[in-house]
Amino acid sequence: MNQPLPFINRRDFLSKTIAGTGAGLVLGAPNILRAADPGSADTIHVALVGFGKQGEVLFNCLRNIPGLHFQAVCDISAFNLKWGMGQVRAFQRSSPKGYADIDDMLATEKGLDAVVVATPDFWHSPHTVKCLEAGLNVYCEKMMSNTIDGARAMVKAMEKTGKLCQIGHQRRSNPRYRFVLDHLINGQKICGQIVNINGQWNRSLGSSQDIGGEKLHASTIVPDDVLNKYGFKDMHQFRNWRLYLDLSGGPISDLGAHQIDIFNWFLGAVPKSVFASGGNDYFKKREHFDNVMCIFDYDTPQGGVRAFYQVLTTTSAGGGFWESFMGTEATIKISEIASSSAIYREDGAPPWDKLVERGFLKRKPAPPKPPPSADSVKSYESAPPEGFDLPGGFNKPAHQPHLENFFAAVRSNGSVKLNCDARHAFLSEAPIYYVNPSALTHQPIVFTTEQLSV
Amino acid sequence: MSTESEIESESENRCPCSCTCRTLGLIYGALLLRLWLAVRAIQTGIEKYAGTLASDQPVKIDGVANTQDLLSSASAKEYALSHYHGVPQGLVDKFKAEPLMKSYTVMDYTIDPLKIYDIILGPALVVLGVTILLGIASRTSLFLLGLLYISLTWGLILIKQDDGISWLGVHMILIVMALMLSHYNRCTIFKKW
Repeated sequence: MNQPLPFINRRDFLSKTIAGTGAGLVLGAPNILRAADPGSADTIHVALVGFGKQGEVLFNCLRNIPGLHFQAVCDISAFNLKWGMGQVRAFQRSSPKGYADIDDMLATEKGLDAVVVATPDFWHSPHTVKCLEAGLNVYCEKMMSNTIDGARAMVKAMEKTGKLCQIGHQRRSNPRYRFVLDHLINGQKICGQIVNINGQWNRSLGSSQDIGGEKLHASTIVPDDVLNKYGFKDMHQFRNWRLYLDLSGGPISDLGAHQIDIFNWFLGAVPKSVFASGGNDYFKKREHFDNVMCIFDYDTPQGGVRAFYQVLTTTSAGGGFWESFMGTEATIKISEIASSSAIYREDGAPPWDKLVERGFLKRKPAPPKPPPSADSVKSYESAPPEGFDLPGGFNKPAHQPHLENFFAAVRSNGSVKLNCDARHAFLSEAPIYYVNPSALTHQPIVFTTEQLSV
Repeated sequence: MSTESEIESESENRCPCSCTCRTLGLIYGALLLRLWLAVRAIQTGIEKYAGTLASDQPVKIDGVANTQDLLSSASAKEYALSHYHGVPQGLVDKFKAEPLMKSYTVMDYTIDPLKIYDIILGPALVVLGVTILLGIASRTSLFLLGLLYISLTWGLILIKQDDGISWLGVHMILIVMALMLSHYNRCTIFKKW
C-alpha cells in the first residue's frame, strides 16, 4: 500500500541535510585513519622504541594501519621523545606515555602487545630480547645487531618466548619482490638458470656526509651522562652511530644487508663463501670502510651462482640501488624504486607473448635504436635483450606492507606467518657479518656450519 | 544604357531560386561560426573541471587476482567541481613572478587579480559559450567573449607565449567575422543586443 509521504518543508530539509552531512564529515571519513579505540578488544597496543629518523619513517607507515593504539614512546633524546609524542598525540588525539629508558617503560606500562624498535643497531638485540622476554611481540629494524652473537640472542629469545619477532627487511613484504619470486623466478622460471647476481647501493658524497655538524641547537643536545649511560661517547656518535665500529656494521650492514638478504631469499640458499675488498677511499677518518665490494659463492640445486655486491658511499654513479638476477634466459633487475626495475629476455630464449597475455609481464616500449658507430665490431655484440616490466606495483610507503604483515600476525596470534622472522633473517644476515672481516684480512672466508647457525 | 560587360555581370549574379543564394550562404556561415565559437568556449570551460581519477586494481594472472597484492594503476578522466582549475598550475607559477600580476590592497582589501581570474575564467567561458550557442544576446556575448580572449592574450604576452597569442588572434578574427555576420544570425532565443 502506498502511504502518504511525510511533508518536509524547505527549512526542515536544509537543516536535516546540513546536520546529516556535518555528522558524516565529523564521524565518518576521518575514522579510518584515526588510531583505534584504546578500550576495544581488537586494538593492538604499541610502544615505539626509538623515534629518530627511522622511527619516524616507521610511524608514518604505522599510522596508516587500522587498529593500532600508540601507548608509549621511548627515546633517550628529550628532543626526539617530545617530537615523537607530539606526532602520536596529533594523530590519535591522546598523548602516549613518554620514557627515556626502556626498562622503565617495560616496568610501568601494562597491556602492551607489541613494540617497534628503531634504535641504533647495537641496541637492537638488547632491546628486542628485553621486550620478547617481557612477553611482547617485536618488530625490529634490520640489521638485527652489530654482532652476530647479538643476532643469535634475538633468535633464541624469540624461540624461547614463543613471541613474534619480525626483522625489518621490508622488501620481503614488498608486493613487487614477492611477485617476482613467486611468479617469475619460481613459478614461470623465466630466468632459466640463474648464474650470476649483481647488486649495488651507490650513494653520492652529498648523501653520505656526517649528520649534524659542529653546532647543534641546544634543544637537541643529549646530556653527556645520558649519552654515556647508553653507550655513546658524544653527540657525534649519537647522531652518526652508523660510522662507528662498536655501534654498527658500516655501509655493508646499513645498506647492503637489505639487498644481500634478497640474494639469499630469491636463491633460497646461503652462500658458501665470501671474498671482499674495502677501503677508506674518501672518508679517511671513518672507522668503517666507505666503499666495499664483495663476491658471495653459492651452490644451488641449479648450479653455482656468484653474487657480486658493492656499496659505495662516494658516488651515486651506476643508477643508485638495485639487484639484478641474471639467468641464461632472462635477467630480472629489481629495486625498491619501481622505475629502476626491468626484466630482459635473452636473445634466443622462448618468446614471452603468452606470459604477457596471461598477465605476468608488461611489454616495455622498445628504446630507440642507436645509430651505427664506426668503432663498433658487430661480431662481438649480442643482440640487445627485449625489455619488459612488471604488470603492476603498489601504492604504499615502502615499509608499510612489512609492518602490516607483522600486525596481521600479531592479531591472528601467529596463524598469519611473518614474512621475515628473526630465524629467517638470521640465515640471511649471518654471511654479511663476515664481509668486513674478509675485506680487512684480504682473505676469502669459507663458511662453516657453526658460523652461519644460531 | 548598359554596356555589354555590365549586362554580362548582372546575368552571372542573377539567381534562379526564390531566395538569394548569397543570403542563405551568409546565414549558414553565421550559424557555423556561432556553433564553432560556442563549442570552443563551452568545452574549454568544461575542461577546467576535468581531473584524473586514479584507481588501483589487483593484477590478474589468467584472470585471477594475484595473492602478492600487486596492483595495476588505471587512471580515468573525470569531471568534478573539485577538479576546477581556472589557470593551469604551470602558468600560475609564471604569472606569480610577473610584477603586473601582483596583488594589491584597496581599502584594507587585498585584491589578487590572478586568483579572481582563476575563479571566473571557467564559468565565464561556459556561460558565454552557452549564450552564443542558444542565441541569447549574441552580439553582446560575442563581444564579451572577445574581451575574455583579449585578457587571455594579455596574460600570454606577459609570459611570452607567442604560439598561444597567435591562436587567440585567430579566435578574435572569427569573433569579428561572427559579429559582421550578425545580420544573418538566425535561430536565436533573445535577438536584442
